[in-house]
Amino acid sequence: MLRNTVIILLPLFLFAQTEPTKDLHKNRPKVWTLTNAMIHTSPGDFIKDGSIVIRNGKIEAVGRYIKSPKDAYEINLQGAHVYAGFIETWLETESYNSKSKNERRHWDSKVRPEYRSVDNFDIKEKHIKELRSLGFTTAHLAPKQGIFRGQTGIVNLSKSPKTINSSVAQVIDFKYQPKGKRTYPRSLLGVIAHIRQTFYDSEWYLKSQEIVQSYPAENRPLASNFSLESLGLTRALEKPFAFISSDDNSASRLMNISKEFKLNPWILGSGYEYRELNQFNQLKPFFIMPIDFPSKPSVTKYMSDLQYSTAELKHWDVAPDNLSYLNRAGHDFSITSHRLSKKSEFRKNLEKIIARGLSKDIVLAALTTQPAEALGLEKSMGRVAKGYDANLVIVDGDYFKPTSKVVSLWIEGEEIYIASKKTPSFLGNWSLKYNGSAYELKIEDILKNRTNDPRNIVYKGSILFQGKTVELYNIDIFESSISFTIDGQNIGQKGSITFNGELTKSQIIGTTKNLGNESLPFQADIKISTVGKELEPESPSSLSVFSPDGAYGLFKDYPQPNAILINDATLWTCGPKGTLAEWDILFVGGKIEQVAPDITVPQGSAIVIEGAGKHVTPGLIDCHSHSAASSINEGTQYITSEVRMKDVLDPTDINIYRQLGGGLTTANVLHGSANPIGGQNAVIKLRWGADANSLLFKGAPEGIKFALGENVKQSNWSGTNRYPQTRMGVEQVIRDAFRAALDYKHENDNYYRNSKYQRTKVPPRKDLELDALLEILEGKRLVHCHSYRQDEILMLTRVAEDFGFKIATFQHVLEGYKVADRIAEHGAGASTFSDWWQYKYEVIDAIPYNGSMMAKSNVIVSFNSDDSELARRLNTEAAKAIQYGNLDPNEALKLVTINPAKQLKIDKFVGSLEPKKDADFVIWDGEPLSVYSKVEETWIDGIRYYSKTENKILEDRDEQLRKDIIQKVLSIKGGTGTNTSKSINSKMYHQGHNCDILDNTGVYNE
Amino acid sequence: MNKSILLIFTFSILLSNDQIPGKEQKRPILLKGGILHTVSTEVLEGYDILFSKGKIVRIEKNIMASPETDVYDVFGKHIVPSYIAPLTRIGLVEIGLVRQTHDFAESGSINPNVKANVSYNPDSELIPITRSNGVLIANSVPAGGRVSGQSSVMMLDGWTWEHATLKHPSGLHINWPAMSIKYGKNIKKSEKKQREEIQKSIRELDDMVRDVRAYFQIIKQRDRLSKDRQKVDLRLESMIPFIVEKKGIYIHAAEARQIISAVDWAKENDLKIIIVGGADSWRLTDFLVKNNIPVILDKVEKIPARRFEPIHLPYKIPYLLQKGGVQFCLSTRIGYPHDGNIRNLPNEAMRAAAYGLEKSEALRSITLSAAEILDIDDMVGSLDIGKDATFFISDIPPMEMNPKILMAFIQGREVDLNNHQKMLYKKYQEKYRRLGQINQ
Repeated sequence: MLRNTVIILLPLFLFAQTEPTKDLHKNRPKVWTLTNAMIHTSPGDFIKDGSIVIRNGKIEAVGRYIKSPKDAYEINLQGAHVYAGFIETWLETESYNSKSKNERRHWDSKVRPEYRSVDNFDIKEKHIKELRSLGFTTAHLAPKQGIFRGQTGIVNLSKSPKTINSSVAQVIDFKYQPKGKRTYPRSLLGVIAHIRQTFYDSEWYLKSQEIVQSYPAENRPLASNFSLESLGLTRALEKPFAFISSDDNSASRLMNISKEFKLNPWILGSGYEYRELNQFNQLKPFFIMPIDFPSKPSVTKYMSDLQYSTAELKHWDVAPDNLSYLNRAGHDFSITSHRLSKKSEFRKNLEKIIARGLSKDIVLAALTTQPAEALGLEKSMGRVAKGYDANLVIVDGDYFKPTSKVVSLWIEGEEIYIASKKTPSFLGNWSLKYNGSAYELKIEDILKNRTNDPRNIVYKGSILFQGKTVELYNIDIFESSISFTIDGQNIGQKGSITFNGELTKSQIIGTTKNLGNESLPFQADIKISTVGKELEPESPSSLSVFSPDGAYGLFKDYPQPNAILINDATLWTCGPKGTLAEWDILFVGGKIEQVAPDITVPQGSAIVIEGAGKHVTPGLIDCHSHSAASSINEGTQYITSEVRMKDVLDPTDINIYRQLGGGLTTANVLHGSANPIGGQNAVIKLRWGADANSLLFKGAPEGIKFALGENVKQSNWSGTNRYPQTRMGVEQVIRDAFRAALDYKHENDNYYRNSKYQRTKVPPRKDLELDALLEILEGKRLVHCHSYRQDEILMLTRVAEDFGFKIATFQHVLEGYKVADRIAEHGAGASTFSDWWQYKYEVIDAIPYNGSMMAKSNVIVSFNSDDSELARRLNTEAAKAIQYGNLDPNEALKLVTINPAKQLKIDKFVGSLEPKKDADFVIWDGEPLSVYSKVEETWIDGIRYYSKTENKILEDRDEQLRKDIIQKVLSIKGGTGTNTSKSINSKMYHQGHNCDILDNTGVYNE
Repeated sequence: MNKSILLIFTFSILLSNDQIPGKEQKRPILLKGGILHTVSTEVLEGYDILFSKGKIVRIEKNIMASPETDVYDVFGKHIVPSYIAPLTRIGLVEIGLVRQTHDFAESGSINPNVKANVSYNPDSELIPITRSNGVLIANSVPAGGRVSGQSSVMMLDGWTWEHATLKHPSGLHINWPAMSIKYGKNIKKSEKKQREEIQKSIRELDDMVRDVRAYFQIIKQRDRLSKDRQKVDLRLESMIPFIVEKKGIYIHAAEARQIISAVDWAKENDLKIIIVGGADSWRLTDFLVKNNIPVILDKVEKIPARRFEPIHLPYKIPYLLQKGGVQFCLSTRIGYPHDGNIRNLPNEAMRAAAYGLEKSEALRSITLSAAEILDIDDMVGSLDIGKDATFFISDIPPMEMNPKILMAFIQGREVDLNNHQKMLYKKYQEKYRRLGQINQ
């Protein structure tokens, strides 16, 4: 039946107004007056005992002393509350046939901006009924699949849903292929690059189209592409782009895209907005907010709390306050029931939000006026006012009390019945009078259901008689009638006695039947319950939000002293001065001011650190890291120079903090090694607590990851035949890429040198991939190449020289010691492991002397981690060059300070303790190369990001915090829903190793 | 006949190509005037140590050598018992990603019958590279499935696996079922279902114990009860030493609930177990002490298991275990890409020493404690009379960085300390010497 309904609905949907009549004419009356209602005309305004006149689907009049027109039929809504129909701001349509290929569409079926969700309205009747029962009369319909998912539209939720607007916004989701599939894009990296390229393509397409039309003689006809056209038009019309946000990091990513392409962003909220409010200040997006709160953590069993991270525990407590945070920050938002698997949670969660302090008016606005305005419906929806659509919600009480019921909806002047008016509840304690005796009757709900929705109650009852509890059985309750049976013997009578009664207000009156089939009257009166509500009163979370949230997060800004002086310390300058015992160093304004045997400053003008017995080194630099990144490899194509690590930085990665604790201040965050030409790297400073964009090392030259050997040949897993499969092919792929880049350059140069061309000819398409390759050839982008064997190292130096550029670093480069002379001659750096070997065939000749041998052959050598753990003890990794190869300790320390700085071309900022450089330094309690020395403080730009004492404070704070939250969890009654929370499970051993490890998609990270 | 230790060192290098196993000790050897890190007692400075036929015979001051004794002056040098790596795949894997070189995981889930030492490759390149850093003894451990197989303690020198085996079996290895319940939107299985699956896995282990005991019951009777002759079951048969004779069973378990569950299982079934991994063992020190359960701690230099744990916690776990009275030893990590890092065992111990553990305790945690847990402390683990002459000579004390291992003996056989990597080092130094670039 349901299916039929849906099928019948479709044509109605599309042709309602013009369709011929099929049988007798149906013309229901269209003039009504609703009277005696509490009318909530708009958030904050209401009319008591008011009337509404509806005519032809519109509201004709609203007010307290309105006279009902003569032709209107009056409906008395005594005691009811009336609201403007609610707008469901996110309703996803189910189906889209992505298989239908059409060359006029975008090559990627996940890019379909031309698709309109209203064309595939396929919501099951059941779901529409659910939405109506919550008071929604209108829905903002969104497409469900893809990256550019398509266009949203607006429909009403009447019995024959009608399209109100077929194109409102474009929807963008950072969604990539699940593992297993090998089509681009298969990572967040790829998705973001793909989105950017598609925007550029649509710009190019519109421009080209214009030129072709104006100058048909000068150009070949342009292949029509309505995906690009549609996207271009959406932007030209300045329609909104709705982004799907899924975690704490989504905000910065979607804001970056919005800024780059000047979009008007909407956000389908993740629930974590409270953690990233500062991201939204500039563009003020409109938020569509689901209210699916995490379920109560399951912490009762011994040690079971260990599987929740502190951030997850906190989120459980703070999530219901998310909207208040948005509200306080001055953001506009609507509330949607989207993502609630049980729609019955919707009103309970609204109640929770209100109980925690968000005003009812704001919540009502989020269901009515806010979405109406965002959707451009502010003149027809969202208010109960003259001239507005007659979309009304009739509730038998205050909507925001979950016990009140939505009785009916009016949608464009037609009433849709939802539920009968409030049926009085049988639950509670009654004083039962029967046969001359008084008893206590108790009726309860086994499930302790809070909504009191009679359909969800499982009744249980008992009679208390002379201190004895007698169970009721055969309890049958329907609407206002009740029947039950008791065993008469328990109250001193024979046989079983059946009670049949009717409830009126607070009294049940009826008759009993006993064994002898004789009837006796009984009466039960409700006892006013003196017991308060079982629920704890809701109050806003008292937890402060850290940055990033959870363990070790910051809750206040770092102090920024103007000047810091360290006295009498051993300074390992890593510069020409070498190591200086009992010297002073002064930092001013985030820079190194002076290094001298004795520095004095006016008292109080600088923080003075007594350095006696302490050692100071430059902040350590890791030239090969995969920490602080949400995505490592886009492994589907062999050239992915368009993807950028800076798009996927993850400032919440706890390894940032842990590595600060090991003295690390700068890291080269690299793309993985799946492709001969991988993605663009990001050099970051470990500014724990900052947002993604602020992690970037300003002034660091851009770079890119290359890779050679087994990984790019995909030798170590089966079932692939991607080109290349040999080192011979790898060389060709790289040459081919650079030749293509040169062709591209030629094409562009030709075009942009000729002003006539620019006017009359289709411009060359902007290609992000080739742009990056060109930058390499122009020396603007540094190449960091994963490599192992001497042959491939030698090969790449020759290829680079043929194209006239230099390789900045060879990474890993475990056979570098075999061709150190060539590396030095070419001028590349070598960033290697201290002593890794054995893990794959191409490292068969790896030796721990590699670093020291290359260093002695005039190669600039660094030791890197490629591993989140190793990165926090690079000092002792450097020391291994003393054990293997007998490097001088000063030179050994340079492997993790000035040398990687030189390799990354950031040595004018960092890497040594020399005046004018950044105040990035580490204070150690002993010799920095010793395993027995520990980091006391780590500073970046003159700000102390880590200290031993502060660390202890944070540890204690977090321990207490966990205890408090767990106490709170335990103090709350009620079961734990298990399957409703998002990613609540904290994995043990959150993967720290990146090197060469197959990630879950079967691609190397190294 | 006095020789200089330096001479011997150079001599070994010249002699070696692919490293040749050391000669059986024919003549007694006396090392004079060394600093003896006995581990079992205090450091003995300026003592002589005499060993003969592979065993330590005397540790005294000023031992007078008989004429047939070779005497070396090791004045100021440090004599340290072999580091013992309790958890490795040495000999069972050559190259991490080359499947053809993998012999550590048999197919299927229950493999108690497979033995590590029979597929130990005595010519693996890992052996000379590992022992050049003083790790002369390693437990080679099968992996995979629920019951992985039997491990063998190997001496890192020898012509054949038989020659190299110090002890077999050193134990049976079981991977404890994961005990955590997964929550979240993407988890399809209900909590109840997950609990049932966990219980089922443990019940299977219970059944296994019962079956082994029943099997044993029949076969020990079989002469008299020939009509019910038990047909062979290699798996059950192979577990008799562990289940009936209560030799050590190594339970690989990291998380708290796994450890608790494993110990409860052992108590119920009256078995002797050792916890391997033990990331959460520090949370359970009283429990472990009460039940007398030792721990082989999987790595010190690692990141905390959980985001909210103190950032240096893994470095401190050895100290916390020691303070809590738990018997423990340290290991490097097995599995790709770590299998080659056995040589860094002393680094793990030093890291522990940097975070609370006494250096002497750190040394013990990779020597005598490991020997005790592996039940080989009658042969190795300390410098004591009667034990194997399996130790090395170093220029600096153990638990100090960047030592040079000058000489090493396994059961009195002098071990070649050269290896593939040192040879490549020499080879390419020659390249740069010829280019006139270096005088390194």
